[in-house]
Amino acid sequence: MVGRHRVVWADPTTAVAQAPIMKGAVLPTPGQRLVTRRDLLKYGVAGSAVVLLGPLAASSASASARARVSAAARSSNAVKRGGTLRFARSIGPTTLDPANTIIAGDIYTLDKILEPLYVTNPAGQLVPWLATGYEVSTDHRTFTFSLRPGVKFSNGKPLVAEDVVFSINRTRKDAAGPLSFLDYAITDIVARSTDSVVFQLSQPWAPFLSDLSVFANAVLPADFAGQSEKDFLTAPIGTGPFTLDGFTPDANSLTLKANPNYWQAGKPYLDAVEFLYVDNDNQRVLQVQGGQVDIIDTVPPANVSSLKASSGISVDLFPAWQVDLLVMNERLPQFADRHVRRAITYAIDRPALVHAASFGTAKPGGSFFPPSLEYYSASTPVLEYSLSRAKAELAQSKFPNGFSTKLLIDGGVQKWVTFAQIIKAQLQSINIDVDITPLDHSAFESTFQKYDYDMFIDYAINDISDPDEMASFEVDVKNGGSESYWSDYDSPKAITLVHEAEAEYDSTKRAALYAQIQAIVAEDAPFVALDYPPYIYAVSDHVNGFEVNPGGAYRLEDVWLT
Amino acid sequence: MLRYAARRVAAAVLVVFGVTLATFLLMHLEPGDPARAVLGLHATAPAVAALRRQWGLNSSLPVQLGHFLSQLVQGNLGKSYIYNVSAASLIGGRIGQTAALVAVATVFAIIFTVPLSALAASRQNGVADHVVRALSVVGLALPAFWFGIVLIEVFAVRLHLLPVGGEGSGFGGHLESLVLPGLTASFAMAPILVRSLRVGMLEVMDAEFIAVARAKGLGELRVLFGHVARNALVPTVTLLGLNIAYLIGSTVIVEQVFNLNGLGSLLLSSILNRDFPVVQATTLVLGAGVVIVNLATDLLAARLDPRIRLR
Repeated sequence: MVGRHRVVWADPTTAVAQAPIMKGAVLPTPGQRLVTRRDLLKYGVAGSAVVLLGPLAASSASASARARVSAAARSSNAVKRGGTLRFARSIGPTTLDPANTIIAGDIYTLDKILEPLYVTNPAGQLVPWLATGYEVSTDHRTFTFSLRPGVKFSNGKPLVAEDVVFSINRTRKDAAGPLSFLDYAITDIVARSTDSVVFQLSQPWAPFLSDLSVFANAVLPADFAGQSEKDFLTAPIGTGPFTLDGFTPDANSLTLKANPNYWQAGKPYLDAVEFLYVDNDNQRVLQVQGGQVDIIDTVPPANVSSLKASSGISVDLFPAWQVDLLVMNERLPQFADRHVRRAITYAIDRPALVHAASFGTAKPGGSFFPPSLEYYSASTPVLEYSLSRAKAELAQSKFPNGFSTKLLIDGGVQKWVTFAQIIKAQLQSINIDVDITPLDHSAFESTFQKYDYDMFIDYAINDISDPDEMASFEVDVKNGGSESYWSDYDSPKAITLVHEAEAEYDSTKRAALYAQIQAIVAEDAPFVALDYPPYIYAVSDHVNGFEVNPGGAYRLEDVWLT
Repeated sequence: MLRYAARRVAAAVLVVFGVTLATFLLMHLEPGDPARAVLGLHATAPAVAALRRQWGLNSSLPVQLGHFLSQLVQGNLGKSYIYNVSAASLIGGRIGQTAALVAVATVFAIIFTVPLSALAASRQNGVADHVVRALSVVGLALPAFWFGIVLIEVFAVRLHLLPVGGEGSGFGGHLESLVLPGLTASFAMAPILVRSLRVGMLEVMDAEFIAVARAKGLGELRVLFGHVARNALVPTVTLLGLNIAYLIGSTVIVEQVFNLNGLGSLLLSSILNRDFPVVQATTLVLGAGVVIVNLATDLLAARLDPRIRLR
């Protein structure tokens, strides 16, 4: 399932590392990034070779003409530079402070300007970014990172270790920072030299590199490059491919310009990116159909087939570290009863649900880890749909004759409304009578967080490449930040395993630990994993090189327009 | 006239105050916590509590209301929780968009109404009359947002004549971007106005002074617009005023459909984020807008027809 969207993706860092940018840059072989998944889909493998050799073939009446086409010439022909990408998104930024947000509109703006030491590529793997690598002590408590040479901030100042110390200390010491918990194992950060920085950890911590890759740990210039924090955050200075002159929080568009000092020589290909904020789903779809914008995000599943039929537009599904959950409140006697939770899980026909509500874009749910996430276990003993087993489980519970209950949803999301109606119908067949309560988004969240609910539907996302975040958030009732996604599910055994996995560096052993955790959760059924939805984007055919990683982030320095 | 105007203004102030009060109470009775909305899912309970304290949300409702009203009297509309700037500046940035939309829609409505009703009235029970009446019924039955989507599909997506949505850049781009939203909004008003003006004109047409005008040898168009329309206008002006007031409220929908960054979309997003100060300030301004339009209508009607002042 993970390989569904195999991408020919050249890691820019390896290309740059092979050609030290201090001594004159060499672009990565253009062929490597030329064949996009889109081309493969469109032309097939043979056709993509034509695309790749297109400029060659055109200029090659004779063998000598062909020979003259050097790699450099090909790269300048192949990748077209310049232009402005018009990108309509459902939500705009209200702040660009990396330490104080987890909102998509903020994150996917600031991550074009500010970069971390590591990033997650579209295949979901960590790659060194502002760092080139690290050395680790035998006790796994001291990490020494080397910074990439030749990296400059957009104001022309070189990146130094003090900048890293300043930035990550700022994030981890901010008690109100929503992701400061990811830096919990860090006890000290010291600049050893201008290009080397040492992290001390309180304990062996396997997710450490992943945690460093989160946008909250992006590197700012030390002391905000001499500005006040407030001024800096209005127009942040970073090492990223784009720069921002300033922004107004409630504006409905924002323009990023290419950073002339960007460390990946020759990038970004675009002159500018114009983000437009269009919260109405229908408007976004129509704007890309009307050619008013080049890319839109959050395409409603119902619109996928009509967009696919539009000429000049393709619909891209990117696997996501996301799972949609039906959560049950274990503070209530019905759902404290394990048999009831198992009966409900058996009674929900997830393939039918996905078919009806996601129009074939999502995968039916099983484990609470999405299949794209590392250490997902395909052998998790999932309680697959079975009406007879559902009835048998309910018969063993304290509520053999069924009961009435309420299902809380965010009524503003059509998908949840459809899910709720199907679940209501399916639970009817085991005598559980469901009353759907739709609320608007903020009322919905504050209601379930106060445990003023019976069941609710929501989604969980892993922001980083390590599954520890999702495991803690959904299982560690005391320290995971959400009391097991507000289910109050408490399995001491699963919690112990989560902590063991955090301290385990051997990937085979970690895989075994996460498989055990997934098995325990599947058997206890604190929530039903309904489906695994992808990220859905509609992209005009003249946009090349657009990819989204499973955490939902996309880098735009590789994007070019034809 | 002056006494009449003073009475209407006093009533208007009371209405605006009532709207403000009702909004305040409704927003605070609704579940949903702005501190949660701002801090997000990962926020700790102490962080949420601290923010609620900072915003004064932990004090009792009457205390909060008192604070809000005293600030309001001093001309302070409060500060947005989400954007961290004053509500007045947010509204200042949006009000032009909404005002432009209302103005364009009103102009379109008038452009449709006057010739169509004149055509229908001058050919009573003829084909043109039936067509106009049928169209106005159809227009009444169509929801504005649906009509807007059809306009976008035809003129923007297929014909590429006008933008799908958004505001455009420069004066020309801006005006262009208001054509489809303006049409959409005007189609919600025009049918009623057409029917009203048509009936009004038919009544006036039988009047003796029209016969006199015709007898004087005036052309039919001159009679129609100079004499018939002028006298049939009073009920239509009142209706137009009511409809503009209704339109100000319905900008919430039209702005959504066309992705315009006006007061309507500000109101909607602030409600969803529980950004109380902005919701209150925006309803206050929209409410005041409705009241001012109604007031202007009353005064205009009184001017057009002196009998109204005496009632």
